[in-house]
Amino acid sequence: MFLRRLHLRQFRNYTDQKVQFEAQKTILVGNNAQGKSNLLEAVELLATLNSHRTSRDRDLVQNEQTTGQITATVERKHSTIELGILLRKQGRRTLKLNTETLRRQMEFLGQVNAVQFSGLDLDLVRGGPEIRRNWLDALVIQLEPVYAYILQQYNQVLRQRNALLRRLKQEEMRSLSEGEKMQLALWDSQLAANGSRVTRRRARVLGRLVPIAQEWHRLISGAKEQLEIHYTPNVPWTQDNPEQVQQAFLSKIEQRRTAEKYQGRTVVGTHRDEIELVINNTPARAYGSQGQQRTLVLALKLAELKLIEEVIGEPPLLLLDDVLAELDPNRQNQLLEAIQGRFQTLITATHINAFDAQWLNASQIFSVAAGEVSNF
Amino acid sequence: MTAYTPPLARLIEQLQKLPGVGPKTAQRLALHILKQSEDDVEALAQAILAAKKQVGFCQTCFHLSADKTCPICRDQQRDNKTICVVTDSRDVIALEKTREYHGKYHVLGGVISPMDGIGPDQLNVQPLVRRASFPEVEEVILAISPSVEGETTTLYLGQLLRPFVRVTQIAFGLPMGGDLEYADEVTLARALEGRRELVNS
Repeated sequence: MFLRRLHLRQFRNYTDQKVQFEAQKTILVGNNAQGKSNLLEAVELLATLNSHRTSRDRDLVQNEQTTGQITATVERKHSTIELGILLRKQGRRTLKLNTETLRRQMEFLGQVNAVQFSGLDLDLVRGGPEIRRNWLDALVIQLEPVYAYILQQYNQVLRQRNALLRRLKQEEMRSLSEGEKMQLALWDSQLAANGSRVTRRRARVLGRLVPIAQEWHRLISGAKEQLEIHYTPNVPWTQDNPEQVQQAFLSKIEQRRTAEKYQGRTVVGTHRDEIELVINNTPARAYGSQGQQRTLVLALKLAELKLIEEVIGEPPLLLLDDVLAELDPNRQNQLLEAIQGRFQTLITATHINAFDAQWLNASQIFSVAAGEVSNF
Repeated sequence: MTAYTPPLARLIEQLQKLPGVGPKTAQRLALHILKQSEDDVEALAQAILAAKKQVGFCQTCFHLSADKTCPICRDQQRDNKTICVVTDSRDVIALEKTREYHGKYHVLGGVISPMDGIGPDQLNVQPLVRRASFPEVEEVILAISPSVEGETTTLYLGQLLRPFVRVTQIAFGLPMGGDLEYADEVTLARALEGRRELVNS
């Protein structure tokens, strides 16, 4: 797929900016805080409807304005589509596909696919499990848009179940009435039903991603390091069938019944899953230098790129936010080789001289200053 | 608000509390009311007050009704072997418009939602259990929206009623006249889940 045109109106620090993309690689050069990452963020929103920088739409709308807009023309293998996101400082978004307003976000997801790689991604290795869960969930949504709905349902069940547990906790430590037990049992089975959908899809996608990531990691590290990725769900299961997985949930809930009653919240479920990254039998967090951690993240990102291409049948966009300059020439070339001419790539950097001559020759270069994009 | 004289401001403020009415609509309605004859306005005010004072709930099915028992429950022509359970009176009205259902109804008055402090005790569940246990009742149809809360309520009622009566759930799937290719994945998945044997009819 190819992002041909991007039009940002009252989005972050852009008042009214059109960008026309002509080459497979686009380099955006500019000082910090000029709007380079904002442009990539707009593309990320088109692909996932999420920004890794904020969860509030009012941060996305330009100061003093009430609405902001992102529109884009995307050339896909068999068709050209127009996408639009209308963001409001207050209230819901309006999503458009070819001028038609969509009722569900699921219909919008999957129209553009993108893999984002920014300096923040080192948190995948260093940060807590939530960061890795969010990363995996975002990938699953790109591959199977229905997962966005499944996740939403799971979170709703979680909120309701927590509300019930909180209320029961306030009833002090008396034993529960039959009616209360029955109510709790309802939410137990809802948690099991929805949690089983979440965990099975996570496992399935990770199962496909891991071999590709391992292969890339072997290549980039010169076969010196062995990467392993383990999915450790909060509720372990072995047989991939809905009844068995649900049964595993229910048993674990029974085991942790007292803990949940005491804490007044749900301690069993996929919101506590972990994805362990291990290099040479050592947790990646504790292992090695920043460079080695960067190698790991690069391998994960390249694997995402490959997997999305495999599943969707079209190469996704690659967004490199301020990371290229941090890679040494060897890793830069690895990346270049992996991308070849297949993936449209948007790159931000503060200096043009950080790039290899090979990169510069094949790229369209823009400079970004104070919310304006112009030819370099 | 200085543009409005106080009585007009008060009217607009009241109208704006209604669902789906924003400041502009409220202003339009208020100005329209002022243009009407005093008789018309009196009739409107009386109708609002009378409806509020007279309409309560049917003591059998909890549908909105001015009488103790609603016309649907009183209707001898209707089949009293089937009870269709819905969330609120709006659903009764929607189902009645189809003219395809000839049984009785039962309005729950909401769905189970711990976040809003609504458990089975806040809903008209006990009266339903009593009705469903009458010997003439053969089937209870659960027609509750498939949200997380709606499904939980369906699950609950199923467990409660199944021991002594046949319990069914309405099918969820494709809208009539809708093309398969335009249906979203969730609807399609549900429609597949609820598939059934093709029978000669």
